[in-house]
Amino acid sequence: MATYEKHHCWSVLLRLFHWMFALSIVFLVTTGFYINNPWTNTMIEGSLSFPMATMRYIHYVAAYTFSAAVAIRLFLYIFGNAQERIWDILPFTKRNLNNLKMTLLQYSYISDKHDERLGHNILAGLAYLFTFIAAVIMVLSGFFMLYPEASFWQGWGVMLFGNQQFARFLHHLLMWWFMIFAVIHLYLCIWNDANEPEGLISSIFTGAKFKHKA
Amino acid sequence: MADTVNNALDPQLDRRGFLKGCTMAAAALGLSDAMIPKLVEAAATAERPRVIWLHFQECTGCTESLLRSSHPDLARLLLDIISLDYHETVMAAAGHQAEQNLHDTVSKHPFILVVEGAIPTKDGGIYCKIAGKTAVDILAEVAPKASAIIAIGTCAAFGGVQAAAPNPTGAVGVQDLVSGKPIINIPGCPPNPVSFLGTILHYLTFKRLPALDHLNRPLFAYGRRIHDHCERRPHFDEGRFVEQFGDEFHKLGYCLYKVGCKGPETFSNCPAVRFNDVGVWPVSVGHGCTGCTEPNFWDTMTPFYERLPNVKIPGSGIIADADKVGKTILGATAAAVGIHAAVGIGKRLIKGKDQE
Repeated sequence: MATYEKHHCWSVLLRLFHWMFALSIVFLVTTGFYINNPWTNTMIEGSLSFPMATMRYIHYVAAYTFSAAVAIRLFLYIFGNAQERIWDILPFTKRNLNNLKMTLLQYSYISDKHDERLGHNILAGLAYLFTFIAAVIMVLSGFFMLYPEASFWQGWGVMLFGNQQFARFLHHLLMWWFMIFAVIHLYLCIWNDANEPEGLISSIFTGAKFKHKA
Repeated sequence: MADTVNNALDPQLDRRGFLKGCTMAAAALGLSDAMIPKLVEAAATAERPRVIWLHFQECTGCTESLLRSSHPDLARLLLDIISLDYHETVMAAAGHQAEQNLHDTVSKHPFILVVEGAIPTKDGGIYCKIAGKTAVDILAEVAPKASAIIAIGTCAAFGGVQAAAPNPTGAVGVQDLVSGKPIINIPGCPPNPVSFLGTILHYLTFKRLPALDHLNRPLFAYGRRIHDHCERRPHFDEGRFVEQFGDEFHKLGYCLYKVGCKGPETFSNCPAVRFNDVGVWPVSVGHGCTGCTEPNFWDTMTPFYERLPNVKIPGSGIIADADKVGKTILGATAAAVGIHAAVGIGKRLIKGKDQE
């Protein structure tokens, strides 16, 4: 009979980041689809319905939440706890490279061995880092489109994207990554929870994980 | 019967037309009416600035739209306030005499250089030659001596259609080749003559160039987004869209967003200044904006009747709609997840669950 020990893993700030990020993405994707291709046509003029204006309003409220979440994650990458800092997931140390190898072997059903560690496995950490970079690009292209006439954003936007239309194109293409990521992320969380009883899913609510007693 | 032909072609600019043109330019620049006398004074001064107008890879559409505006005063005003020493379309001189004029002005006088058209740089610039010299060489000879350079039209500003992928002639805009000179871009395909006239009059009146944005476009003409000044904007906010050209919504004048209008991505004064002196511009006559004043517009604004560019998958020759690509990848991901789960369950059925 295995015995488990409760470990504090995720700070309140990280859990707050996670749910701000996740919920804002749901709203951003839904309203984003509408803004790109509005599926309603109100037809009655002066009807006091403003679907596009409303969708854009929700999009911007969610966008500010998303931006704040990205700022929190950046802070945690530098000043977070041991599991949250960026060095914990970069595949540069021997321990991390070994974890990456073992995770890949486990995910491809070649090995049953699970490299036990408190924080993210390296594959997950890298996927989150990639998503974080994608999120930064979303924030930059988003603000460039939100404040098209502001000199500050125009300067950055023109340098990074060339023109508004290219920013829009990139913003739209990267949106698909967030949906693809959500599918993989949810699946692997459930898969890991089923394979390794460490309380992975509840850890994002409670901050605690359970590890084998040494 | 009135002699309309000769009246319309009267080469003399009358006082009324002159004042009208100056007033239009003052309005375009956003100046108060108290400034109009100053503009008139500057435009009427005896010392006319010399202008050299170079044509490279272009269609002469910018010149045509300037000279053939239905309101003849605009072009005449321009020709009256500047000394156009070299302009291949309208100059009287030809051959060696024309080249001599160009050479004289460049070597002896201060002048403003206007460039129309992109400059090809590939293969030693052989794709555009005038009088035996390549466009690159002509620009390198003339540009360093100019007091200011105005790139008129999207080709001269950003390369335009010539620079569209795969850019076979290596076409670039003036600002990619010339440095250390004030360069003003007046993009558009064609640009509004009022924006050009406003820039010239601003320079004559205040002895300096107008304020520019990050793409060196004068802010008075390119400071605002078309979408924010569009007469169809209320239809956008209230969710009323043309679904396809010629439908009931098109007749009702709804927003052209869903049929590919690039107004939200484009900076220009088109909705305010309009064209042809009869108050029209593309959106007012039921066609979406094509985004012609923006860099790389030929690559990023096409397809003109869709919202977003297509995705080109490198090496495969596949060109697809962005959403189709997204849906396909999302579908493949879901399928991969399904297979992964099935393999896991299969393995467990064969081997049995590990005992803790």
